[in-house]
Amino acid sequence: MLWYKSWLETRWRFLIGLALLMCSTAGVILIHPRLMALMPMADTIDPVGELGQRIKESVDLSRTYRGYVWSQLFRQNLTQMGTLFAILLGTGGLFSYSSGGAALFTLSLPASRNRVVGVRAAAGLAEWLVLAFVPSLLIPMLSPAVGEAYGVGDVLAHSLCLFVGGSVFFSLAFLLSTVFPDLWRPMLMACAVAVVLAIAGQAFREISRYGVFGVMSGEDYFRTGALPWLGLVVSVAATTVMLYASALNVARQDF
Amino acid sequence: MSDPLIIEAADLRKDYGHVEALRGLNLQVPVGSIFGFLGRNGAGKTTTIKVLLGMARPTSGRVRVFDLPADVPEQSVHIRRRTGFVSEEKDLYDSMTVEEIVRFTAAFYPRWRADLEQRYARKFELPPDRKVKALSRGMRTKLALLLALCRGADLLVLDEPTSGLDPAVAEEVLQALVAHVAGEGLTVFFSSHQIAEVDQIADRVAIVDHGRAVAGGLLEDLREGYRRIQLVFDGEAPAPVFQSPGIVRVGREGRVITVLTSSDADRVLDEARLLNPVSVDIVPVSLKEIFLETVTAED
Repeated sequence: MLWYKSWLETRWRFLIGLALLMCSTAGVILIHPRLMALMPMADTIDPVGELGQRIKESVDLSRTYRGYVWSQLFRQNLTQMGTLFAILLGTGGLFSYSSGGAALFTLSLPASRNRVVGVRAAAGLAEWLVLAFVPSLLIPMLSPAVGEAYGVGDVLAHSLCLFVGGSVFFSLAFLLSTVFPDLWRPMLMACAVAVVLAIAGQAFREISRYGVFGVMSGEDYFRTGALPWLGLVVSVAATTVMLYASALNVARQDF
Repeated sequence: MSDPLIIEAADLRKDYGHVEALRGLNLQVPVGSIFGFLGRNGAGKTTTIKVLLGMARPTSGRVRVFDLPADVPEQSVHIRRRTGFVSEEKDLYDSMTVEEIVRFTAAFYPRWRADLEQRYARKFELPPDRKVKALSRGMRTKLALLLALCRGADLLVLDEPTSGLDPAVAEEVLQALVAHVAGEGLTVFFSSHQIAEVDQIADRVAIVDHGRAVAGGLLEDLREGYRRIQLVFDGEAPAPVFQSPGIVRVGREGRVITVLTSSDADRVLDEARLLNPVSVDIVPVSLKEIFLETVTAED
């Protein structure tokens, strides 16, 4: 029943996230023919400065359907929105306002704190897993509608990267939620960390593919066909450490 | 032979930073008793309950419930499996309906009493489809009580069960509690600062103040033991020096000395007569007076 409680606490965040990510994915796929029609105009763009180079890079990537999908979805929409929803799913825990201020009721139940924390974390990660995989699966399903094809294997590889990388933000928000009793501070602090990492990634582009957003976008897989194993392992380790720290933090607290 | 104990605390201490919430609390709750835990706001009642249920860790001391150490997390789960609890704020999941939270709670207790659930749902007129957040304070208390009573628990721990309720609902809740205890024969440990409420349903009490138990025992024994002795002199009252144990407070004002004793009133009387008063009155003391005298004696 703790699973049910976790579901009740997070279901709206999850369902809204699922709807938005699916709409975004469907929109990017279905708009592809119109963007391709504009492609000849893109050749006239003079790539001046950093912004011009970025636009040119994006245009160049979009010349192939695989590049278009990666640059628009896995590198941008799914990674950015996914980060936000991973954070949202991670916030709120045992004694936050999202649990209705009912920490004492939960603690009066014959369930250990580790179990309560573990179920909440597992439920949130399960929801994040769905957000990471289900919208992406729309890509191979909708691609034939625009006269293209996209491999399910590619989708699964990118979704795995998205899930594992995004789990770092989930666990960061989760850990912060065991420190602060409200919803806002953990969410804002985790978002601030994400923004800082994104800015750092833009500033140091040559190493950005090794950062957490590089892992989430699956840039290595897109460019080389090999999964970013090091990044995945580091992300899993960071997630595990933060979730373990969350459990320790809750176990030592007085309510 | 004394009754077996369901709750036992010895020299229990709990610090929150520099604040000493419990300062060497001793507590013994026999099986089958209705134990009133009386104290002012901030006396340490809620902290004691949290320690008993593993929600807070004691800084030092010994605390056992069902003869299990309450400060060991794994054992605390076993304690909670046999304990019904109602918190002061009646914390419940606002997003659930009455029916959902009943089903949710029942799933944790193999000995859940479906018969009692039906009975109390009818008696308290709880609307099954209504969200918990939409319940009035009184209805919320009744729901919290239902969730505690139906667990098939051996021990009920209630933290200020009637706080915030109007007198009619408070009475209804107390009556339901008394009827339940009479029928099921379980132990009740409840905190309160409502002396009348404790007087009404408890058979044993402990008065806690500044984190320590300052008086306690069978309510009947307390009433029997506590006496106010008033000595009147024909001139200025002499400075009193009493050696008898059990003296709680001695006051002197003009021609009158007032002595409050918790036991051995006869011995105090013998000592008092040596002071040659012109009159000696000995009167029983109500629980309210005992409470007020013991807690103000601590100030």
